[in-house]
Amino acid sequence: MSKIFYDHLTLHEEITAKLDIQHLDPQEREELVDLIDQTLHHHVLDLILTHLPREHHADFVSRLHAAPHDLSLLDYLKTHIPDIEAKISSHAAKIKKEILSDIKKSQTHRGK
Amino acid sequence: MPAQDLISLRNRLKLKSQQSELLLKTHHPHAVAQLEAAGVRPGSIRKHAAKLLAAGATATALMTSPLTPIALRAALPAASQSQPLSPDDLHLLLKDALKDVLPTRVDPLTPAQEEKISELLYDYLGIHAYAQLEGNRLNHSYGLIGAEQHLPRYPGDTLEQHGAYLKAGITPGLGAWRYFARSKSEMTPDLIAKERYYVAVQTLYLPDWHTRLAYLRDWYKYRKVAVVNPKNGKAVIAVVADSGPASWTGKHFGGSPEVMAYLEAKDGRQRGPVVLFFIDDPEDRIPLGPIDYNLEKPSLLQSI
Repeated sequence: MSKIFYDHLTLHEEITAKLDIQHLDPQEREELVDLIDQTLHHHVLDLILTHLPREHHADFVSRLHAAPHDLSLLDYLKTHIPDIEAKISSHAAKIKKEILSDIKKSQTHRGK
Repeated sequence: MPAQDLISLRNRLKLKSQQSELLLKTHHPHAVAQLEAAGVRPGSIRKHAAKLLAAGATATALMTSPLTPIALRAALPAASQSQPLSPDDLHLLLKDALKDVLPTRVDPLTPAQEEKISELLYDYLGIHAYAQLEGNRLNHSYGLIGAEQHLPRYPGDTLEQHGAYLKAGITPGLGAWRYFARSKSEMTPDLIAKERYYVAVQTLYLPDWHTRLAYLRDWYKYRKVAVVNPKNGKAVIAVVADSGPASWTGKHFGGSPEVMAYLEAKDGRQRGPVVLFFIDDPEDRIPLGPIDYNLEKPSLLQSI
């Protein structure tokens, strides 16, 4: 799987590991992982743009589009938002908790 | 996992993904539009990253690095480039292109000049902008813009509630189209953006203003325009929300504090030249605010 510059802060493998013990069909697993990845990315991007001054948005999006994996994007963000890493980690943890809760709810659906 | 559980989980995750996408689009429509214009949905950035890797590091770096020499990019038509130019490069290119078309002094444009500028705005920004739209045109499509104040948005609105550029002040009276909303609770993100990025135009001097008042008043209310500073190539999408300035000022347009700050259009006399064209955007898809990228989807080089 290709990398995004903030992957080490979101650690979404914690969620996919939960899916792995469900013995899903590979195609089904991929679809769910994709949905989780999209959700995390929407939230992280929203968080970044909310804290990044508006005049830098176009530049940041341009850089993100050019090299989504490039860790220097974090350095760029840190010049404008010094605690961006903590913010991403914290927000991602919150979203992951919600997603894990959804996975759990779906499991408890069984037998009802 | 049983099929029923799987369907339940898929539905939950799908809903979560859609809700988060909507949230992002609502908060930052300009950024989403920029990514989508480059052919990438915000949630699919990982797939985009995979494509870049597959395309090969060398070719990718050449085409996508923000450090790619501008001359190399300029060799391609702006609208055909699959990777967005950096904002600075785009401003520079647009500035140079406009320089070849605009008169050296701020004089009325000829139909040929206006047509050429429409082509440039489409080529560089991907917008359909014209000096005349639906049979309507201002007395000036190229003129001097001056700084305006914030406008009261609803009864009881105060300068402090505008949040930024407070030094500009707030007008003691209402804009030509009165309040934006009847109360603070009726203000929407769209109306906030309209006041933030507004221009004043000289509707009062239109030759048919008094004879077609009812029609023109509605046509000009919140009419979307592109305002471009030819001195630096910066462009902003705004709406018409006030009338003015008076002709004795020597100015032809007014710009909100946000518009003027972004365009850096003020000289020592608090005014500067701009191109102001109507935008043909019937589906209201072009977000208000600075436009630092090409909105049109690239048609060529997508596979590189």
